[in-house]
Amino acid sequence: MRRGQGLTATALIGPATLFVAVSLFVPLAILLRFSLNSFVPETKSMVEALTLANYATFFTDPYYTSALATTVKVAALTAVACLLLGFPLAYVVARTQSRFKHLLIIAIVLPLFVGNSVRAAGWMVVFGSKGFVNAGLMDLGLIVRPFEIMFTEKAVVIGIIAVNLPFMVLSLQSVIEGIDRAVEEAAFSLGAPPATMFRRVLWPLAMPGILAGTILTFILAMNAYATPYLLGGPLFKMMAPVIYNEFTQKTNWPFGGAIAFVLMSVTLGLTLIANLVFQRRAAR
Amino acid sequence: MAFMINRRTALGGAASLAIGAPSIARAEDNKRIVIGTWGGDYSRLLTKNIEKPLLEPKGWDVVNDEANDPPRRAKVLAEKALRRGSSDIQGVSASFMYEMNQQGVIEQLDYSRMPNSQNLIPVMKYPYGVGHIYSGKVILYNPKIITTPPTSFADTLDPARGNTLGIIDIQYQYTLVAAGMASGGTMSNVEPGKERLIACKKAGARIYPSNEAFAQALKTEEIGIGIMWKARAVQWQNAGINVETVAAKEGVPMYISGFVMPKNAPNKQGAYAFLDAMLEPSAQENFAVDMGYNPTVKNAKVPPEVQKRIGFTSEEQQRLVDLDYAYLGKNDAAFQDWWNKSFKG
Repeated sequence: MRRGQGLTATALIGPATLFVAVSLFVPLAILLRFSLNSFVPETKSMVEALTLANYATFFTDPYYTSALATTVKVAALTAVACLLLGFPLAYVVARTQSRFKHLLIIAIVLPLFVGNSVRAAGWMVVFGSKGFVNAGLMDLGLIVRPFEIMFTEKAVVIGIIAVNLPFMVLSLQSVIEGIDRAVEEAAFSLGAPPATMFRRVLWPLAMPGILAGTILTFILAMNAYATPYLLGGPLFKMMAPVIYNEFTQKTNWPFGGAIAFVLMSVTLGLTLIANLVFQRRAAR
Repeated sequence: MAFMINRRTALGGAASLAIGAPSIARAEDNKRIVIGTWGGDYSRLLTKNIEKPLLEPKGWDVVNDEANDPPRRAKVLAEKALRRGSSDIQGVSASFMYEMNQQGVIEQLDYSRMPNSQNLIPVMKYPYGVGHIYSGKVILYNPKIITTPPTSFADTLDPARGNTLGIIDIQYQYTLVAAGMASGGTMSNVEPGKERLIACKKAGARIYPSNEAFAQALKTEEIGIGIMWKARAVQWQNAGINVETVAAKEGVPMYISGFVMPKNAPNKQGAYAFLDAMLEPSAQENFAVDMGYNPTVKNAKVPPEVQKRIGFTSEEQQRLVDLDYAYLGKNDAAFQDWWNKSFKG
């Protein structure tokens, strides 16, 4: 009987585990090995080696370190912005008694039905120097010269927030829904003003959702490709487009592999730190 | 003993499977040609002008595998160790034909298997690839913004142009070549042009990620001047963009786009059939009319009014120069580093 259960468990877990192992860890292992190879620029070919030179190049060349800094900055900024914008929205959706609640949720998820690159293309129409925003403001006589939005960090941040916001709202909404309305009322009945109630009751109880949403949006932004590529333009650098460029334009797989591992490690590291810090705060 | 028999049976079974599988696959693939190509107009026109009229009637089943050339080249390289690759033929520019040959991933061609190749213009015939269409890098300007027509690359890639000058990011190679020519360099030494480009950038030159973004900027008059293939200028004129072209007096660097065959192409016979069909005069003439590129075969007859717009006068033809692919190939990684870090950074 026990043996039978073991077999069932294996049968249930096995396929997914095997799939993850083959499709995630094997390519990662190959990439890690590639990242230790060296590269001959003259023939654009990879040469078998065992060196950390690619990692050293990354951390000593300001071009790449500034790309990493920009990426972390944009990811942090968008995660915070998504939290600030998403929390009130998630609260309203979670607490509403309306018959149309499901429509509200669909409206939040709806943007995800459109691919990232299509959405970025839409933003391009809005942000261009003769785009919707500039043409509108100029026609109204509010500005004389068009704003430079397209191909700036602003455009990328706005674009990524728009992509990531639904993930934040959904993570928060499901957790807030699980918080009994009675605990909020209890805080009010004991004389807590709304801000105190929020700080002492709602925020700590919603922490799992805040953490999940923030981490999710942060990771998505760290790895964003289409939005920075299309809205940031040729002069703006974030990690994912830099990695793509190393692999496809320069055929420099070893260095591309190294940058990919740096990005992955930084993302994982920052996520772990955030997790620890938030949880310790919540425990206090 | 029983074990031995079992193992032998198993090995025999496996071997027969291993032998049988590729022959079955080959039989199926025999009439299928997989073409790696850019998407959009180019792919559509390959189907319209080559595949439908010339290959399908002979029973070929042609599949266009559409993507930009960097990922397609990366794929061919990634498949290098495989016995059977996933494509039979790949469309790339002459400089990447050279690079792929250096990487040892493409076949040396047997021109006797392409009867139409006897009409090829000699420079279009590489040992490892065939030129399909060509154009030249010329100056593009909007006469409304730039009232005195430019005559040279020096006059175009000039810091005095300020932010009316547009530069295309993915055209870094030709931009470096043109800037080199403008500053007294040669096809084998673009170094003198670097300083000029940095000065242009400092003076406000705008950099666009793609050819299409550059066209959009010309259309909205965000910029008034730049350099691009003459063929693209013709397409943009057709789209109603107010743009004129000038063949620079320093010379006209040629852009040749063609096809190569991966060494592990599953259907080489099909690949040769495609290469031969694309050199058919009718296919070449239609590409000139539809896309504004010049034919690479001598027996194609382009209507005179089209020739006037896409072609080069005999005086301009004297100035057509092919790139030094060996030089560009050897230094490409370094050029990209310079472009990304020093020029754009």
